[in-house]
Amino acid sequence: MSRVRWGRWLLALPMAVLALATVYPLVFTANVAMKTRRDYVLDRFSLVDSLRWDNVAAAWNSVGMARYLTNSVVVVTVSVLLLLLFGSMAGFALSQLRFRGSSVLFLCCLAALFVPFQVIMVPLARIMSDAGLVDTYPGLVLAYVAQFLPFTIFLMTSYYRTIPPEIIDAARIDGNDVYGVYRRIMLPLGAPALLSVGILNALFCWNDVLISLLLMPSAEHRTLMVGVTSLRGQYSADIPTFAAGVLIAAVPVLVIYLFLQRQIADGVAAGATKG
Amino acid sequence: MPVPEAAPSVRPAPTGRAGGTPPRSVPPAPTVSRRGRGGRRAERLAPFVLLAPALLILALLRFWPLLLGVNFSFTGDGDRDGLMVGLDNYRELLGDPLFRDALGNVGLLVLLLPVAVAIPGLLATLIYLRVPGHRLYRSVYFFPAVLSPVIVGAIFNLLLAFDGPLNALLGGVGIGPVDWLGDPDVAMFVVVGVHVWATFGMALVVFLAGFATLDASLLDAARVDGASLPQTVRHVIVPSLARTIQFVFVTTMIGMLTSMFGLLYVMTSGGPEGSTYLPEYYIWIQQGQMNRPALASAASTVLFLIMLVVGLLQISLLRRAVREA
Repeated sequence: MSRVRWGRWLLALPMAVLALATVYPLVFTANVAMKTRRDYVLDRFSLVDSLRWDNVAAAWNSVGMARYLTNSVVVVTVSVLLLLLFGSMAGFALSQLRFRGSSVLFLCCLAALFVPFQVIMVPLARIMSDAGLVDTYPGLVLAYVAQFLPFTIFLMTSYYRTIPPEIIDAARIDGNDVYGVYRRIMLPLGAPALLSVGILNALFCWNDVLISLLLMPSAEHRTLMVGVTSLRGQYSADIPTFAAGVLIAAVPVLVIYLFLQRQIADGVAAGATKG
Repeated sequence: MPVPEAAPSVRPAPTGRAGGTPPRSVPPAPTVSRRGRGGRRAERLAPFVLLAPALLILALLRFWPLLLGVNFSFTGDGDRDGLMVGLDNYRELLGDPLFRDALGNVGLLVLLLPVAVAIPGLLATLIYLRVPGHRLYRSVYFFPAVLSPVIVGAIFNLLLAFDGPLNALLGGVGIGPVDWLGDPDVAMFVVVGVHVWATFGMALVVFLAGFATLDASLLDAARVDGASLPQTVRHVIVPSLARTIQFVFVTTMIGMLTSMFGLLYVMTSGGPEGSTYLPEYYIWIQQGQMNRPALASAASTVLFLIMLVVGLLQISLLRRAVREA
C-alpha cells in the first residue's frame, strides 16, 4: 500500500512541473507587461512588486485596440447567435422529426465537418468578392457561420436525440404546431447544450485569424486577433508594451475560461464521444 | 461508445409526429381537425423550413466552393485566367521547392503524431488513476487550449527570441544560445512543440471522456492479478479505449494540418528558408500574396487528398493494431 502511494507522488512531480510549464508563459507575459523597458532589460524574470498599468494603457491607446475589440465583439456575437438559431432548428428537425431524406441530410452536414477551411478558402474568397461581401461585417459573419455550422448541427442533433419523444407528443396535444414545439419546448430544453456549443463557437470565432485575414483586409475592420499580429512590427523594440497588448487580447478569453471551464470541456468531450 | 446514443436512435414504435398524426393512445380527432388540411401541408414542409437556412449556407459556402476549387485548380492564373490548363498547376506545385518543403513537413508531422497523442494519453491515464492533485492538473492543462494561436505565438516569440529569456536562462547554465526560430533545422520542431503545448489539453479532455466509459471492474481485476501500471495500460486501457485513441489520432492530425496557420503567421512566416512551410501556409501565400489563386486551389486539392489518405490510413492501421493486441 505505502509503496503504491509513494509511486503516485513520484508521478505527481513531473505533472506538477508540466502544470508550471503550462501556466508560466502567460504569467511571464503578464509580469513583463508591468515592467518598464529599463527593468525588462536589466532583469527579465524578477516579479514586479507593484502593478504598473502604463504599458497596458499605451498599447490600448496606440494601435486601435478598442476598434479591433469592438469589431470582434460585434462579429462574434452575431455569428454565435445565428449559429445557435440555425443549428438548433436543424438539430431539432434532424433528431425529432420524421421525413424523407432526413438521414441523407444529416450525412451531408457530417460531411461538411470534414471540409477544412484551407481547402475551400480560394473559391470562397472569390464568391464573397463577387457578392460584394469582402471587408464587410455580414461577409465575415456568414463565413464564420458556414465554418462552424456543421459542428453545431452535429452536437445539437445528438443532444436533441436524448429528449424523450413523449415530451414533444404532449406539447402537440396541447395544440402546438412544429414551430411552437421548437420555440416552447426545444429551445428551453436545449439550453445546456446551447450554452456549451455557444461558448465553444464564441471561442472558435474569437480566436480565428485566417478567415478574418482573408475576408477583412482593411485596418479599420480588423478583428482583435489580426490586430495582435500587427503589434509585433509596431513594438519590436518595446517588449513590455508588446506584452501588454498580448495581455489585453488574452484577458477576455481567460475570464471566460475561469467562469465557464466546465461547459467548454463538456462541449469538447461531447463532440468526441457522440461520434 | 456514448451512453445516450443507443437509447434514442433505436426509438421504439415511431409515432409519426412529423406526419401530424398523434400517437394512438390519445384520441386523434381534435388535433387533426384543429389543424385542418392546410395545416397538414405546413406540417409536412416544416422539417425543410427548419433546415433551410443551414442547408442553404452549407451548400453555398462549403460544398459549392469545394467543387469550384477542384475545377479551378485545372485552370490558369494571370493571362491564362479561366482557361483549362490540365495538370499544369500540379506540375508546377511538385516542382516548387517551397511546396516540397511543405510536403516534407507534413511527413514530419506524421512522424511526430504518436508523440503528440501519447503525451495527453499518458497524462489522462495518470489523472484517471488519481495522482495527487489530479483535479487541478485537469483544469490547468486545458487552459492554453482556449488561447488563440496568435496569442500563443506572440507569447512564445517573446520567450524564444534570440536575445530573449529562454536563451538567457540557458546561458546561465552554459548552454546555447540557440536560435529557436531562426535555425532551419530547429524552427519546425519548435513550432510543432508550441502547437502541442497549446493543444494537448483538448486531447486530454477527449481521453478523459473516454475513460469515463471505461469498465472499472476490468481495472480492479488487473490490480487483483498484480498487473503493473505499464501492463495495465497495454492490456486493459489501450484495447478498451481503441475508439477514443483512434479519434484523437485523427483529430490531432487534422489539427496539425489545419490549425497551425496562426502560429506560422506570427512566429516564423514560413521561414527561415521555407523550413516551416505547411500546405495551409503555402495556400495562403499563393492566394493572398502572390495572386496565384489557381495554383493555390491545386495546393488546396492536394491538402484535401492528404487529409483523406491520412485519415483512412490511420483508421485502418489502428484497427489492425487493436485486433492484434
